[in-house]
Amino acid sequence: MPLLLEAQREFGGRLLAPRAASSWPPGLRIYAGNMRANWEKALSGAYPIVRKIVGAPFFEGLARAYSAAHPSRSGDLNEFGAQLAGFLADFPQTRDLAFLPDTARMDWLAHRAHFAADAPGFDPARLAGVPAANHAALPLHLAPASALLDSAWPLARIWEIHQDGYAGELNVDFTPQSRHFLVYRAGWKAAVALLGPADHALLAAAQRGACLGDALESACNADPRSDGESTLARWIFCGALVL
Amino acid sequence: MHSENYFGAGGLDRHVLERVRADFPVSLHGVGLGLGSVEGFSATHAEKVKQLVDWIEPAFVSEHLCWCAGQARNFNDLLPLPYTAEALDLVSARVREFQDLLRRQVLVENVSAYVAFAESAMAEGEFIAELVRRTGCGVLLDVNNLYVNQANFGTDALQQMQSLPRDCVKELHLAGHLVTETALIDTHGDRVADTVWRLYDAALERFGPVATLIEWDTDVPALGVLLEEAVKARTRMERFDAIAA
Repeated sequence: MPLLLEAQREFGGRLLAPRAASSWPPGLRIYAGNMRANWEKALSGAYPIVRKIVGAPFFEGLARAYSAAHPSRSGDLNEFGAQLAGFLADFPQTRDLAFLPDTARMDWLAHRAHFAADAPGFDPARLAGVPAANHAALPLHLAPASALLDSAWPLARIWEIHQDGYAGELNVDFTPQSRHFLVYRAGWKAAVALLGPADHALLAAAQRGACLGDALESACNADPRSDGESTLARWIFCGALVL
Repeated sequence: MHSENYFGAGGLDRHVLERVRADFPVSLHGVGLGLGSVEGFSATHAEKVKQLVDWIEPAFVSEHLCWCAGQARNFNDLLPLPYTAEALDLVSARVREFQDLLRRQVLVENVSAYVAFAESAMAEGEFIAELVRRTGCGVLLDVNNLYVNQANFGTDALQQMQSLPRDCVKELHLAGHLVTETALIDTHGDRVADTVWRLYDAALERFGPVATLIEWDTDVPALGVLLEEAVKARTRMERFDAIAA
C-alpha cells in the first residue's frame, strides 16, 4: 500500500476513535475536537429548532452520536445531517419527544429551502399573452424552495414559538391529528404554513405537476366552500408556487 | 468568501454575492476539496467550484494544502500532509487537474498543523515552492499559519517564506490564534498577534503589497475591532507600497 494512503487511513482511524490512546501525539486530539466541532456547528445551523428544544448540551451529544452513525460524505457541510429525523426516531434518549423527528424534518426542509434555486417571479404579462380559454391547461409547479410535509404534530406552531424574537404565548396543543404543512421561502427567509384542505389539495396538485385547471378542481373538491383563485393567488404571490 | 457557502442553486447568499461582485472583485476560498486526499477526492466537489467560478468570475480561486477525505467519509477539516515526494506527486497532479478544469491558475494555501510527520523529507516552504514550479499554481500565504507551525514544531517561518519565489504569492491571510498548553491553535477568533504582524511586514517586503484578508470567523467582535485590524494591515501595506515606489 502506498505510504501516504496508509498514513491517511491510520490518521483517519485515530480521529474517529472514541478515545485517544496515551501514546498518540497530543495534536491529534485537537484535530478530533475540531472535526467534531465542525460537524456539530453544521448540524446546529441546519437544525436550530431541534437544538432549542433539546438544549445545547444535549444537542452536542446528539451531534456526536449522529456523526458516528451517519458519517459526513461531502466537503460541503451544508449537506451534512440529512438523516437526522430518521436517526431521532430510533434515538432512545428522545423517545418521549414524539414530535421531534417531524420537527427535524421541518428544520431540514427549511435549511434546504435557504439554498434552493430562485423561482421565476410571477409575470402577469406572460399570463395575459395566453388566451383565457387556454389558462386551465397551464402547468403549475411548486417553487424549488417549497416542500409539503405531513405530520400529526403542530409543526407550524412549534416553528412560530421558536423564532428569534418571538415574545408571545408559549402554549402548544400537542393533540395528534392529521395535518399538512408547506415549508417554503418567503422573500429570502424560510417559512412554515399550516395548510387548510383547499391549500393542501392545490399545492399537492402543483407538486404532481398538474395543470392549473386540474389543480383548481382539486382545491374545490377538497373544500367546496373555498375560493380557488384566491388560494392560488396567495401561494403565487408569496413565491411558493410557480405558474 | 468560502466557495462551499455558495454551492446552493439560489437563495439569499448567492443573491448577496452577486450584488457584491457587481461592485468588487472577490476571492473564492475553498475549504472542502482536499487536494491531498489519496482516497475520496470528489470530482463532483471540483465541478461545483468550477460552476461557481464560471458564474462569479473571481479574482482568485484558492484551496488548502491538505487532505480531508478517505474511508468513504469526509473529515471536514484541513488535515496535514507529510512533505514527501509521494505527497508532492499526488498534490501536483491534483492541482494540474483542478487548474485544467477551471482553465485558470489556482492558489494553494499553507495550513496550520498540530502534528508533524517523521517521514517528511523537506520543509513546508520547499514543498510549496516545488509545487509552484511543477504546476504554475500561485500561493495564498497564511502568515498566521506559518507562525503557528513555527511555535508548534520549531520550523522557521521566515525561512519558509524565503523558500518561495517572490512572484508566486498572490494573496496573504492574517488571523488570530489561541495559545493552549498543547499547541497554538489557528482559531480565527482573536486579534492578529504582534509576532504575526512582524512576519506580515517580512511577507510584504518579500512578496510586495498583495491582497490581504484578515480571517475572523469565531467569536466575531464588533465591526469597529475588525476595521481597526484592517487599518493596521492597510497602513503596513501602504508603507511598503511607498518604499517600492
